[in-house]
Amino acid sequence: MVVGDIATGTDVLVIGAGPGGYVAAIRAGQLDLDVTLVEKDAYGGSCLNHGCIPSKAMITAADVAHEAGNAEEMGVHADPAVDLAKMVEWKDGVVDQLTSGVEKLNKANGVNLIEGRAEFADENSVRVAHGGEGQGSETVEFEHAIIATGSRPIEIPGFSYEDEPVLSSRDALALDSLPDSMVVVGAGYIGMELSTVFAKLGTDVTVVEMLDDVLPGYEDDVKRIVRDRAESLGIDFHFGRTASGWEEVDDGIRVSTETVDEEAAAEADGGAAETFDADKVLVAVGRQPVTDTLNLEAAGIEPNDDGFIETDDRARTEQDHIFAVGDVAGEPMLAHKGSKEGEVAAEVIAGEPAALDYQAVPAAVFTDPEVGTVGLTEAEAEDAGFTPVVGQFPFRASGRALTTGEDEGFVRVVADEDSGFILGAQVVGPEASELIAEFGLAIEMGATLEDVASTVHTHPTLAEGVMEACANALGHAIHALNR
Amino acid sequence: MVREFKLPDVGEGVSEGEIVQWLVDEGDAVEEDQPVAEVETDKAIVEVPSPVDGTVRDINAEEGEMVPVGTVIITFDVEGEADEPAEETAEPAGDDAASEPAGDAGSETAVDADEEVETPEGRVFAAPSARRLARELGVDIAAVEGSGPSGRVTEQDVRAAAEDDEAEPEPATAETTTGGADDGATAEADAGAVSADSAQTGGATGGTAASVESADRDRTLAAPATRKLAEEEGVDLNAVPATEERDGEPFVTPEAVREYAQAQQEAQRADTEALARREEPAEREVREPYRGVRKSIGDQMEQSKYTAPHITHHDTVDVTNLVETRERLKVEAEDRGIRLTYMPLVMKAVTAALKEFPMVNASLDEENEEIVKKQYYNVGVATATDAGLMVPVVDDVDRKGLLQIASEMNEKVQKARDRSISIDEMQGGTFTITNIGGIGGEYATPIINYPEVAILALGTIEQRPVVEDGEVVARHTLPLSLSADHRIVDGADAARFTNRVKEYLKQPELLLLE
Repeated sequence: MVVGDIATGTDVLVIGAGPGGYVAAIRAGQLDLDVTLVEKDAYGGSCLNHGCIPSKAMITAADVAHEAGNAEEMGVHADPAVDLAKMVEWKDGVVDQLTSGVEKLNKANGVNLIEGRAEFADENSVRVAHGGEGQGSETVEFEHAIIATGSRPIEIPGFSYEDEPVLSSRDALALDSLPDSMVVVGAGYIGMELSTVFAKLGTDVTVVEMLDDVLPGYEDDVKRIVRDRAESLGIDFHFGRTASGWEEVDDGIRVSTETVDEEAAAEADGGAAETFDADKVLVAVGRQPVTDTLNLEAAGIEPNDDGFIETDDRARTEQDHIFAVGDVAGEPMLAHKGSKEGEVAAEVIAGEPAALDYQAVPAAVFTDPEVGTVGLTEAEAEDAGFTPVVGQFPFRASGRALTTGEDEGFVRVVADEDSGFILGAQVVGPEASELIAEFGLAIEMGATLEDVASTVHTHPTLAEGVMEACANALGHAIHALNR
Repeated sequence: MVREFKLPDVGEGVSEGEIVQWLVDEGDAVEEDQPVAEVETDKAIVEVPSPVDGTVRDINAEEGEMVPVGTVIITFDVEGEADEPAEETAEPAGDDAASEPAGDAGSETAVDADEEVETPEGRVFAAPSARRLARELGVDIAAVEGSGPSGRVTEQDVRAAAEDDEAEPEPATAETTTGGADDGATAEADAGAVSADSAQTGGATGGTAASVESADRDRTLAAPATRKLAEEEGVDLNAVPATEERDGEPFVTPEAVREYAQAQQEAQRADTEALARREEPAEREVREPYRGVRKSIGDQMEQSKYTAPHITHHDTVDVTNLVETRERLKVEAEDRGIRLTYMPLVMKAVTAALKEFPMVNASLDEENEEIVKKQYYNVGVATATDAGLMVPVVDDVDRKGLLQIASEMNEKVQKARDRSISIDEMQGGTFTITNIGGIGGEYATPIINYPEVAILALGTIEQRPVVEDGEVVARHTLPLSLSADHRIVDGADAARFTNRVKEYLKQPELLLLE
């Protein structure tokens, strides 16, 4: 207790108002608990303010611009002009609407909101330092705490986000003018999504990736479709390279790169060391959990070697009364996983029989085309001891896909051959992020191939592909050839 | 070596296909099953997978070209294989080149009921609602056998597992009934008669505002305006006594709704006035969630009571000899480190009687319409624990000595109390005994530990007045209450069985003949 502190007590203290924290707070409020939510920056966290939502807004706007200028085939001739400042303003409006919605929902559910940065004083209290000079701090004593501090973009040596030409994903979504050229370090999902946005808006994009392909962790045929499309948009890929530093040159910056191994050096066009000139460099090499600002030691919690807080299937940390949800609680770092964890943590605190026992967490990449995955790949199913059977449906055989002008990619389902239980799916193509939801439900309900193949799907829709892929696995797809 | 790859027969009666797109270039490394080309036939497109790990040597067909089935469209260099010409046709669609016709892969989803459904990694296939129910009922869902398609675990499966796991509750409050011996001549309770057939009650009420009989139907016909009125008055339409019928269904008029609402309001007012005259506690009502063990017990009770029409037979036995016998044996048992209560003696007596009345040691297999008479005697002992009621079972009581039964029972009851008892130690019972006497009381109406068909409740053994040769004397007596499933056990059987138990308890030495 610091002299001059005001101390308040609460049943549930939630630290961080991102999709993990605010959902936990609202759910706890619904369950008649006294809830206090501490947020240092903006309601909605990275997801609403600097991640999922603004990036999707920009992707949509970039798609509109790109499609309008590339629809001669459909008889549409246009040469769209892009006003990035206006685009960002529109995106900010969307973000504001959502974040104020989150604030209202919290208030409506009786959640006490405190603005400031929380750190643990001991196992049952935090000190919240309010921003600004002379704002002081207060102590909050809690019965239960939910840590939901999220993650931040990883910095790499030689590239500080403090420097104006070096952009994090957050900075890239807040530019007021379009750079002529950009180097993107990292071809993971964030790097690929933003590369696509800027390429479509007219920026010359060069991507430097340490590994040998885009979207690490995805299957080769999925990567190929995304990479080919990106290349056709003019994105220039350099695989097997790391960015080592940058310097200012006449009218921009020069990013230096190195090959990761000698073999790559021999094959590389520019030799072992190669430089790329650009206006900006965007670093998107991943995210790391925010656990270093919390004084976790005082709460008796120690993050693991990767900085994550380990939790059990009730979202509990090593301290029974302290929970951790969202990015800070480990991979996969996905907003929807955090929200589910937040919900479960709140219910567990309220004494409900809740647990994290979902069977699969879907993931989407909003590249062009989109990628949606859930559950196991064929190889993973095999490793898990199943005898997988695979069904696939190419969008080229989908009437609806053809009418959208987007017919690349496929729907693939992985199931257990003996029982027919659906184990996973990979969709790459138009609206893959939406289509994957049906497979998520199928897996969670323990549905079989037959269940989905026998469900009448609307015609003409992309979702028919889900039905057809399942029918294909059973050997009776109608609009695709069966094995 | 070089592998030639011919355009496979990509479908029923298809003789040619168009190469839509090559997915690989000459010189590319390919892995087995990696799609190398997309081939289109009328109305369908299929990806053709590589048959080998290797490198693309030549591509022999142009994109857009129509190619007859069997034409070599691509060749591969394969490392490490003997260099001899070989050709390959693969099956279309990227699956694990199965050599069997892929016609109904995965369509054999029927699971042999007797077969254990083993899934890799202990994966359980069940909907989230079933998982939550399992947590609520404290059931390990991984141990539940699923009855759904391919062995999917349903909510019903979880409930059934919970019922197997859960103890049968001992009647916590002994409700004494006024009934004496049921001689089997009483009318059988018809479960259907319990729910008042609202169609027949039509017109029976609705007269005076003072009567607030609620009808409790599942379905009620009424005009939309009447429904709206019911909503405004906060009245459940199904509870309003029906004054008319339409199409054989109860029909409620606006007048009936108003009368019912008024009657309810008056009744509430009367309640309120009555309450106002009483001392007000701080909180008028405390609501607690009905779940977990409490709910499991409730569910089990409900199932038993609504499935098995219960009869209860009450009697008293003079246990003077039993008391003396136990006093003598107790000392002997203590020397061997075993605490001997009356329960093992009663278990022995009951088992001896069960052998003579197999109907009481049975269960009813409703599904197959068979009565299952059990030739083994596993007796459950209802035990009150902090976590609720549990019924540890002592197996094969007929084959065990008193002291073994005593030590097994003591051990299991203790395990039930400290919650270390395993599920299988509470399963497989054929008859249950519940001892209410420990807490107090004489007679009760115990609820059968379904699917068993009978349960015996013991009152307190104490001295009560008994008439002997015209004289009133003090004797140790034991009140007995036997509930039985009237579907299997008639009143006469219940009485005869109880009489036999009484004989053994009256003269415990008879057990030596067993």
